[in-house]
Amino acid sequence: MKIIRHSIAALMLLLLIPTAQASGPSYALQVDGLACPFCAYGIEKKLSSIEGVDDTQVNIKTGEVIVIMAEGAPLAEDLARKKVKDAGFTLRAFSRRSK
Amino acid sequence: MGKRILKALGGVTVVLLGLAVIVWLVWIPSAREVGYEFVSTWGEPGNAPGQFHDPTGIAVTATEVFVSDARNARIQVFDFDGHFKRQFGTKGDGPGRLGRPMNLRIDGDELYVADYWNDRIQVFGLDGAPHRSIGKSGKDPGEFNAPGGVAVAGNGDLYVADFYGQRIQQLHADGSFVRQWGHTGKVGIRAGEFNYPTDVALADDGTLYVADGYNDRVQVFSPEGRFVRKWGGPFGMNIFGPFNGWFATVTRITLDSSGNVFVADFYNNRVQKFSPDGTFLSTFGSKGTGPGQFEKVIAVAVARDGTVFVADFANNRIQKWQPKP
Repeated sequence: MKIIRHSIAALMLLLLIPTAQASGPSYALQVDGLACPFCAYGIEKKLSSIEGVDDTQVNIKTGEVIVIMAEGAPLAEDLARKKVKDAGFTLRAFSRRSK
Repeated sequence: MGKRILKALGGVTVVLLGLAVIVWLVWIPSAREVGYEFVSTWGEPGNAPGQFHDPTGIAVTATEVFVSDARNARIQVFDFDGHFKRQFGTKGDGPGRLGRPMNLRIDGDELYVADYWNDRIQVFGLDGAPHRSIGKSGKDPGEFNAPGGVAVAGNGDLYVADFYGQRIQQLHADGSFVRQWGHTGKVGIRAGEFNYPTDVALADDGTLYVADGYNDRVQVFSPEGRFVRKWGGPFGMNIFGPFNGWFATVTRITLDSSGNVFVADFYNNRVQKFSPDGTFLSTFGSKGTGPGQFEKVIAVAVARDGTVFVADFANNRIQKWQPKP
């Protein structure tokens, strides 16, 4: 029984691997002045307009914005800074996250 | 020498205390009503019917509560006891699709949705059927840059809080531009200027109330468009605080059937109620996750019988309150 359960778990893990590999690099942006969902959605909207952005996640409390790119699509810091500025905020830090 | 310093310090203390008393008397009003009591709550985080992922807007008819469920890109409809009835909308930018729906307004048998990411106002039937949309992305007259809220006049004209546009626009029902308040794209703190306006409300006589979001105030304009008054902290000039009549980011404004003004006071985790002329009446809510507590009040709606429904943003739930007997 235990072996069957382990086999199923291993199979599920194998199925998940291609999905994990499909997503590209992700970046952490530290943004000053995020006040409410109106701002959070504003930043998401501006960043999402960059070609290759798969997803954005905003944490209003910490001011951290995670940008997930498509495979092989890096995010340029200057472009991210411009988009954050367009949304009315200041980019304080920019770093590529390790997988 | 030491005596002189002590004397001077004493004088400063007296002056500061005097100033504090003046501020308290002039800018911190007492409640004039008995206030509201908590009735019930519904909702939890998730994407199933009755669950929410960022509730951001709320509006009511005589029997139903409509909620913007922003990250789930849908509108959910409940009865007054919180029983789920139906939902509509999916993520996207086509007709009937939504991109971060924000404040809601019901006019007659239609629901007006501030479709934030799609830079338009979408109009639905109360059954969820998409009827039409007004506006598109841009800075020109009649265009929007993230609309946060909308009000509808008796003649069908729309008043739209254009969040990044830093203006309020009045449009005819067909979307043609009538006029605007504020300078397009420019933040300001003087009367008639805005700092990320989030919502608008219209009185029966055409008086316009604006939730001037990051200016932490309400601004009022006459039916002819003239500035009438503003309130929110000392001088209504972007001074935020937790006291009665002060705000910490205003995200929704709506009126009851008597014309009283209800304001969602986001960071103060409360709803504040004012008379039509801005006199502070009462407040309810405090920070927390328990019954009757809020984690950021983002929207409020008042039923004809006086029942108040509140979108409790970070708790992902709706709360129902009623006037104390």
